Amino acid sequence: MTMPASSSIGASALTPIDRIVVRRDASEASETPRNSVLHQLTGRAKHYGIPTLLAIASIGALLAFWYLGTKYKLDFYIRFKNVPTPHEVLLQAIEVASAGTFYVNIVKSVQRILTGFALATALGVGLGLLIGKYKRVHELFMPAFEVLRPIPAIAWVPMSIMLWPNNEASIVFITFIGAFFPILLNTIHGVHGIDRVLLNAGRCLGASELQLFAFIILPGVMPSVFTGLTVGMGVAWVSLIAAEMISGQFGVGYFTWEAYSLVNYPAIVLGMLTIGVLGLACSGAIRLVGRLVMPWLAFVNGGRK
Amino acid sequence: MNTIDRGLVELRNIDMIFGSGQSRVQAVDDVTLNVQPGEFVSLVGPSGCGKSSLLGILAGFTKATSGNATLDGVSIKKPGSERGVVFQQYSLLPWLTVRKNVEFGLKMKGVSRPERESTARNLLKLAGLSAFENHFPDQLSGGMKQRIGIVRALATNPEVLLMDEPFGALDTQTRAVMQEILTDMWQQFRTSVFFITHDIEESVFLSDRIYVMTARPGRIKAEIKVPLPRPRTAEMTRTPEFTELVHELKGLIRGESLAAMQSELVAH
Repeated sequence: MTMPASSSIGASALTPIDRIVVRRDASEASETPRNSVLHQLTGRAKHYGIPTLLAIASIGALLAFWYLGTKYKLDFYIRFKNVPTPHEVLLQAIEVASAGTFYVNIVKSVQRILTGFALATALGVGLGLLIGKYKRVHELFMPAFEVLRPIPAIAWVPMSIMLWPNNEASIVFITFIGAFFPILLNTIHGVHGIDRVLLNAGRCLGASELQLFAFIILPGVMPSVFTGLTVGMGVAWVSLIAAEMISGQFGVGYFTWEAYSLVNYPAIVLGMLTIGVLGLACSGAIRLVGRLVMPWLAFVNGGRK
Repeated sequence: MNTIDRGLVELRNIDMIFGSGQSRVQAVDDVTLNVQPGEFVSLVGPSGCGKSSLLGILAGFTKATSGNATLDGVSIKKPGSERGVVFQQYSLLPWLTVRKNVEFGLKMKGVSRPERESTARNLLKLAGLSAFENHFPDQLSGGMKQRIGIVRALATNPEVLLMDEPFGALDTQTRAVMQEILTDMWQQFRTSVFFITHDIEESVFLSDRIYVMTARPGRIKAEIKVPLPRPRTAEMTRTPEFTELVHELKGLIRGESLAAMQSELVAH
């Protein structure tokens, strides 16, 4: 840490105490790098190694339970009699992978999710900001939303089929409904949660109402929005799969239900696993985007949460 | 950067009344005070005496029930960047880096990016904070955050700096150091400062002039000049002049603090 060059009026006025403080703050603020290579290696092992081992153990235990349960046809109230073995599911996966229809199912589901989720995000965040910011908008919209909100997306299936001209639109609508409310409510909550002192600071620095919205409310609400997106994505998948099972053509939900109807047990498990992997990928993508958009969150309350 | 010729702050016959009827509370009663251009003025008083209300009026957050508040003769109606405010709570925007926080006011004014950046860098350099320009506020200690808060308020080159117990949340050691840093910075910028505190030593160390307020309803009880020479140094806090002033002020305040507690007891 070097002190400012002396061309300005400032340098002479800085006291020795000032220098000490600057240095102390510096060591507080940035983590001191550890020099020993050994230390670095053990540090890295702790950071990546142990979580990886535990992750392998966790998934391994699940697979082992499945394998043993199906191998010995366990029957203790829950019955493994008809449950396919991991091997059978793997064979099914290989068979299905060579046929094109499985990919069509995946593409269809992902398309529906992305369309419904994108609409829910646009409308949920947009309306959420307005409802959170303006009391009158809140008073106008919330009574209707409070009535609609407790209705689960699945309960919309019959109405949706009547309402929309085709199957595709009705499934996207159900997915939208699932994602919309978590996103909306979290956004509203986020606006209300913005610290008043930040808004006052913005005003004192000359921000107009529009600038406050763009530069303080919008970034300030982002952590809540991303919470809403994560929850919304989960509910969207639940809603999508239910809709596909009931009214769908194509889609992983449809694939899974069809497998049950056709007594193709390995395909059921394959469908389930596919849904799990797709859901995981979607929430992972949201987390990743969140980290890129909000790098500062890594430091809130002294560390990554 | 020299602002000796501007930054005259005046409060004239300010009354602040909250509520009406039974719950009517007079918080501030006929307060008149001023800050001369380039002067450092403190306002001390027991808690609840309306100090912060007065600062709120100057900042433009609240309106006085009656009386007027002016800056260089112009009536104050709403917040504006010609009056820099440093808050007691940390008020840096957590999603912006230190430098972007300092640039914020200039950005609102539409100052071009290169100009903003160089202004912010210069100020951070003067405050000895260059090494942290790309840090986020949550990576810094409380004292650092408040220093950046001061730098940010100075970036728009305000006519007056309004400071609302800016070191109130800091520990005693950090606070003492921050007072020295502030007096050094003030020595460079010579912006008018209106400083609110309940810490008597702090007010004597920093100020040219001190107003003492009474307990609710807040009135100006005394106005005291601080004859200590400039620039101020930590050694001055051990001189007889300093301790004498502190004692005098403490005597004035003690009566008021007792009165404040008394009225609270009566009210309950």
